[in-house]
Amino acid sequence: MNSTIVSYLSQFEGHKKFISILSEALGFDATYLVAFLVFFLASFIVVNVMALVGGLGTYAERKISADIQMRQGPNRVGPYGLLQFLADGVKMITKEDIIPRNADKLLFTIAPLMALVGVFGSLAVVPFSSGFILTDLNVGVFYLIGVSSLVGVAIFLGGYSSNSKWSMLGGMRGASQIISYEVPVTLSILAIVILAGGLSFSTLVEAQGGMPHQWYILHNPFTFIGFFVFFIGALAETNRAPFDLPEAESELVSGYHTEYTGMRFGFFALAEYIEVFVVCGVAAAAFLGGYKVPFDLGTGDLLVNTLHLPPIIGRNIGQILQVGSFVTKTLVLYYIVIWIRWTFPRLRVDHLMTLCWKYLTPIALFNLVGCAVWLYAFDGQSVWELLSHLGGASSGGH
Amino acid sequence: MFDNILFILSASLTVVGAFSVVLTKNLMHSCVYLLAALFGTAGLYATLGADFLAATQLVVYVGGVVILMLFAVMLTGGDQDKENKFGITKVPSMGNFKTFLAGGVSALVIALVVLRLIANVAKQNPQGELPEFTSSVVAIGTKLVTDHVLAFEISSVLLLGALVGAAVIARPAKRGE
Repeated sequence: MNSTIVSYLSQFEGHKKFISILSEALGFDATYLVAFLVFFLASFIVVNVMALVGGLGTYAERKISADIQMRQGPNRVGPYGLLQFLADGVKMITKEDIIPRNADKLLFTIAPLMALVGVFGSLAVVPFSSGFILTDLNVGVFYLIGVSSLVGVAIFLGGYSSNSKWSMLGGMRGASQIISYEVPVTLSILAIVILAGGLSFSTLVEAQGGMPHQWYILHNPFTFIGFFVFFIGALAETNRAPFDLPEAESELVSGYHTEYTGMRFGFFALAEYIEVFVVCGVAAAAFLGGYKVPFDLGTGDLLVNTLHLPPIIGRNIGQILQVGSFVTKTLVLYYIVIWIRWTFPRLRVDHLMTLCWKYLTPIALFNLVGCAVWLYAFDGQSVWELLSHLGGASSGGH
Repeated sequence: MFDNILFILSASLTVVGAFSVVLTKNLMHSCVYLLAALFGTAGLYATLGADFLAATQLVVYVGGVVILMLFAVMLTGGDQDKENKFGITKVPSMGNFKTFLAGGVSALVIALVVLRLIANVAKQNPQGELPEFTSSVVAIGTKLVTDHVLAFEISSVLLLGALVGAAVIARPAKRGE
């Protein structure tokens, strides 16, 4: 069975005791009930925290852009303007909900929800730590690619159903862009999958180490290029500048969500910011060592052995460190995404397609073949391991 | 119990989606309902423990086929213009006796063929508990490059041909030709 947050919790005594008490009280085996409750709670927490991250993402975006443009940014609501996103949320909810008369009402209503469902569905396999992962599907990467493509359908439907020229153009651009850039993104993840030998996120992360030279980005030259291909492709898939053609303000008013008001627009915005977090998380997990902490602190063994802590506490401290490591890497990438948005000008549509099909896709294919050859030729060892062998051999020879 | 809940949810999603596809009059809507039906099918695969197949269903149909269908419907006009430039309805045979007859007969034939196939499988494997869940990724990969390598290669050549053909069709015509 796939390892989940329930299987992590079930190794503790308290969990078993709780189940047995509940079973006696209710008169039937409460294992499934407890599992359901744990999943419900964990999903609730993850979804809410991610909504918060999405909200704070809008704040970070404004603050960083203000910094880059030598402005102040939001600074009135709360300390440093931190509560600005709450004020925005209240404003969005209280706004009048307008559906254009000639809009396709069913699709117009469904599209923002679909975008959110797609993004929240992909959160199920994001590896926050070795224990705190909602479910470690053994086809996790594949599942994530499939579910997140629902956002593409949502953007297209949102553009189509609004019955407006700007929305239509934005939706078409969005759909074609997302379909195209899925190819290099998937191929560069596939190169990592070949090296790690598994599709689940825990396999990908466990094959790496805590220190930077054990990460897949520095594993060999092909994965180094692969990371940048993945990152560029991911920017395009989440419709971030310089690839934000679907909502290009200067040409399309605001693209696929021109006709949306109030919270429906808010859903699209929230979905975008959470998707950026998810994509950065995937990049961190696949290329930057994910939740791994240096010196194997994540397993808690070192703490238990040196400080003589009880194993449960040591392990839980390790989990917290792992979550910290993962979130730090992801947020650094998040910062870079925002930084790129406010630094580069937008691409033209034909340049976008040229970049995808004539540059990124061939490079990603080359990387894939290169990784396979590397795995075959050097038995999956990284550059550093090969160098240390070389050093060891030469010093041993003399 | 959990399997049953998952089965009931995905089966009802599939059936309701499939009926909505044929009952709705709006082509775009029926595309979206088709999406629901395909999602339900992925859920059915997951219920049976075919994890890889379920994920493939999501990637191929949700990410690719449905978007392409939406594109095609939108660019060809959808249900907006039911008449061509001569004032003749484009789909004259939709919903008259002939189509119902053809549809009914083909449904009957397909149902008989499928039932015949299922009957064999059902005879060999009496109904019971599902086997213990094991990942099907490795098994599928091994089968594809050993037993079914010919089918695998032929389908990849077919896809390559389709790709080259699409590129040739989409290429702008050269000057002077």
